[in-house]
Amino acid sequence: MSGGRDMMIDVRVQQAGFDVGHEQQRLLSGRTDIGAVVSFTGLVRDFNERPDVRALTLEHFPGMTERALTDIAEEACQRWGLDAVTVVHRVGELQPGDPIVLVVVGSAHRRAAFEACDFVMDILKTRAPFWKKEHTSSGDYWVSERQSDRLDASRWES
Amino acid sequence: MTLTHLNARGEAHMVDVADKQETRREARACGMIRMAPETLALLAEGGLPKGDVLATARIAGIQAAKRTHELIPLCHALALSKVTVEFTLDVVQSCVHVEANCRLNGRTGVEMEALTAVSVACLTLYDMCKAVDKAMTIEAVRLEEKRGGRSGDWSREAVAAPAVAPASTPLDPVTRQPASPVVTVRFLAELRERLGREQHDLPWARIEQADIAGIKRALIAEDEVFSLLAERRVLAACNQVMVDDGTRVRAGDEVAFFPPVTGG
Repeated sequence: MSGGRDMMIDVRVQQAGFDVGHEQQRLLSGRTDIGAVVSFTGLVRDFNERPDVRALTLEHFPGMTERALTDIAEEACQRWGLDAVTVVHRVGELQPGDPIVLVVVGSAHRRAAFEACDFVMDILKTRAPFWKKEHTSSGDYWVSERQSDRLDASRWES
Repeated sequence: MTLTHLNARGEAHMVDVADKQETRREARACGMIRMAPETLALLAEGGLPKGDVLATARIAGIQAAKRTHELIPLCHALALSKVTVEFTLDVVQSCVHVEANCRLNGRTGVEMEALTAVSVACLTLYDMCKAVDKAMTIEAVRLEEKRGGRSGDWSREAVAAPAVAPASTPLDPVTRQPASPVVTVRFLAELRERLGREQHDLPWARIEQADIAGIKRALIAEDEVFSLLAERRVLAACNQVMVDDGTRVRAGDEVAFFPPVTGG
């Protein structure tokens, strides 16, 4: 194959949890051309806008979510010439300490993997249609956007 | 319209492509495999006896695309420059959606490669899961779009929804004529809760300016409650793609409004 490469994108939106080691193995399975894997896991904190978050509910826009995540992963693949990207995002009710999101990036060399993983998370936080509602002892509220997230995403505009 | 794989005598033959110009060719195909919710859950958790199902099915799909010419008698062997196979687990429909994209610079299309990738990925999913669920069905294997080549671009969406009579325009039950077209507006998350509604069909005739900003204005003109759309930062998607205020909207489109996203 002339200049052929298989780039693998795996995007999942699910209620169930995930296992980082398992996802990394899955991404690497059958590949010997990947020299670097970087993964990021986001977790539910017990403090956010209020100090006593007991749980949170994640809503999403089925259909658009998968499409947006795939677009982001594809953009990262093209920009950094990646071999594989896995994005798993949970929805439904989650407790503090639960993993919410996983990004695994595989590439030939480490720099691309580090940068692309950072990129996918930054863009996901501003473009993927997920919304968090936090439950605290003083009531429930929808989480507001953070200006810092928008600034983080704007770093990648070129 | 002629069948290019039949010669003048009506016999099957391989089309000579030596003199055709090389162009960039792309194809996207989809399909799905329906299964019991328990099977889908096992698949998501990686608890199936044959191990990592999706990774295996993906490799199978990619390999199959590369070997399409060995399976389909009159297909040329192609040096594909890109093959992707993606899976989306769908809890609502209890199925796995499979999508394959193929690309090359060459003289023949890659539709058969994309369709073969989807088919074999589905078959592999069946093989990997059949120990726990034999009733799975493989469905709706289809070409979604192709680009490049003499016959040009084609997309199922464009064929299904011509601009004049949008496919989503329902027939009036009495007259059997197309009901007056609407833009379906959806509200999500906090916006849905604040507006106290999930969906609103906006008659096309009430939209003065056919873009997202025009939709907002038409909604506010209909009901003051929608002035929320002008007061806060609200994001919009048209047919599930994020858009700006200036993006054009057509009758039959689905427009969604939602608060800034807070995932991750």
